[in-house]
Amino acid sequence: MKTTLAIALLVLTMLWYLSFLATRLDRLHHRVETSWANLDGLLQRRAAIALEIARSESCDPASSLLLTSAAYQAREATVQERSSAEMALSGALGLLMIHGHMHAGGAEQSLFDELRLLIAKIQVAIAIHTDAVSSTQMVRKKSAIRFFRLAGTAPLPVTYEFEFDAL
Amino acid sequence: MLTKKLSIGIVCPYGWDTPGGVQNHVRDLAEFLISAGHNVSVLAPAIHEAQLPEYVVNAGKPISIPYNGAVARILFGPKAFARVRQWIASGDFDILHLHEPAIPSISLLACWAAEGPMVGTFHAAAKHQKVIYAIGPILEPAIEKLSARIAVSEAARLTLTNHLETDAVVIPNGIYAKRYANGEPQQRWSGNTIGFIGRFEEPRKGLQVLLDALPIIARFAPDVRVLVAGPGDPKDVEESIDPQLRHRFEFLGRISEKEKADFMSSVALYVAPNTGGESFGIILAEALAGGACVVASDIPAFDSLLGGGEFGALFESENSAELAKVVIELLRDSDKRGALSRKGKEHAQIFDWDVVAEQIFSIYEMALVGAQKITLSSDNRPWNRFLSKDGDKK
Repeated sequence: MKTTLAIALLVLTMLWYLSFLATRLDRLHHRVETSWANLDGLLQRRAAIALEIARSESCDPASSLLLTSAAYQAREATVQERSSAEMALSGALGLLMIHGHMHAGGAEQSLFDELRLLIAKIQVAIAIHTDAVSSTQMVRKKSAIRFFRLAGTAPLPVTYEFEFDAL
Repeated sequence: MLTKKLSIGIVCPYGWDTPGGVQNHVRDLAEFLISAGHNVSVLAPAIHEAQLPEYVVNAGKPISIPYNGAVARILFGPKAFARVRQWIASGDFDILHLHEPAIPSISLLACWAAEGPMVGTFHAAAKHQKVIYAIGPILEPAIEKLSARIAVSEAARLTLTNHLETDAVVIPNGIYAKRYANGEPQQRWSGNTIGFIGRFEEPRKGLQVLLDALPIIARFAPDVRVLVAGPGDPKDVEESIDPQLRHRFEFLGRISEKEKADFMSSVALYVAPNTGGESFGIILAEALAGGACVVASDIPAFDSLLGGGEFGALFESENSAELAKVVIELLRDSDKRGALSRKGKEHAQIFDWDVVAEQIFSIYEMALVGAQKITLSSDNRPWNRFLSKDGDKK
């Protein structure tokens, strides 16, 4: 009788622990999704601004071509290729911001100001997303979670690599 | 900024009616957000309920426990937990902002109880915190619920990455830079004066380092005077001073914000010889904003606030000989002093609430992307959901 009770108690505790772990993991997956949605939105806005700059008058045809192709590549990239595509766009924008915007007119100047604000936000968003991803990956490494397949069919979040200096 | 008005819940872990950096920060932030039109409620422990501003909700009487080298007035326990849950359930918040959630406090309790967009700000920088390794596994599931983390300084961020393996965005503490920018230089505080503000009785504020340096300074700058402001009884300190130097000291007691601004623009040098336990150094930001030429010990928080010496002079912490050297050099060179204070004043703008609150708010926006409201996590448990559905049917 005593052993049955002990076993029942053990099973209950284990069930509670597993449900606790599953909730925790679910919450983390949710966090990754929202932080990614946030980052994705900001990056899309950046690509849109890049295209607008490419079409503006202050942009010469060569850098316009570079910027347009980089922006389109960034927009159409898959999740895995995304960070390298965005990095290419950062590079193109960086070139333009260093060399090009000296002779930018009033309308372009406001575009550049917006871009600068956006870049600051993107850096923060990347830090938040990276943190969410790494803690999710860490929790998913736990043996209990792997053994009982608590992650279900959710894909392992992809680390988004981004060089801060490139921005 | 978002045009939508938010309902924001802020949790302050420390007793509201005891002075402290975190409390000041929470108060200023709450008032700034309220003036921007948001709905703000602050949950904090307090001793006297009657003196609380209307946006503060009392969580109960705090208890004093030693923490991180000082006495912290915090609150926890089942009764406090019930209070926190009630506050969350009745607040209908869009977002929660928890301050210092990694210590046993109502912030941690709120983090445990709530579900939804949460932001945490970490203030403390601890040198060695072995305890945290032991409580890490308990803390981790709670801390990872935060959608975004803010550290007030690089030192606080390092504490976080080393001990809790999580990263944070650095946003400095805020000051109202404009209040300090227009101080009027006072005759009585001018000349070859060295200013010091703080609770001078606390050893970690480092007044002793300055006292030890003074004999050397006085030899090279005979007319030097030291002005000490801040709460405390100067008797003990005065007795420990060499009688020949005693007349060079002036204890001003506690001074008002306006006087502080005048003080900063009057003194030749502002000295912060703190030996540690400082995570941000708000007083240095205020000194810079007031146009003072700052000399500070090279503890990590001060080093990063002063840009490694770019916006104020640094000396090796607890080394009074080096402090004396730096002070003498600056007292003799008014051009260098002017250049440092000009640079510092410009730099201090990044600590202004207009800038800091904007940064904090953009973190809120990022946390809010999922767009759910704050709920109690217990309401979301499957069996509770099942039970409440049952209840609805009846």
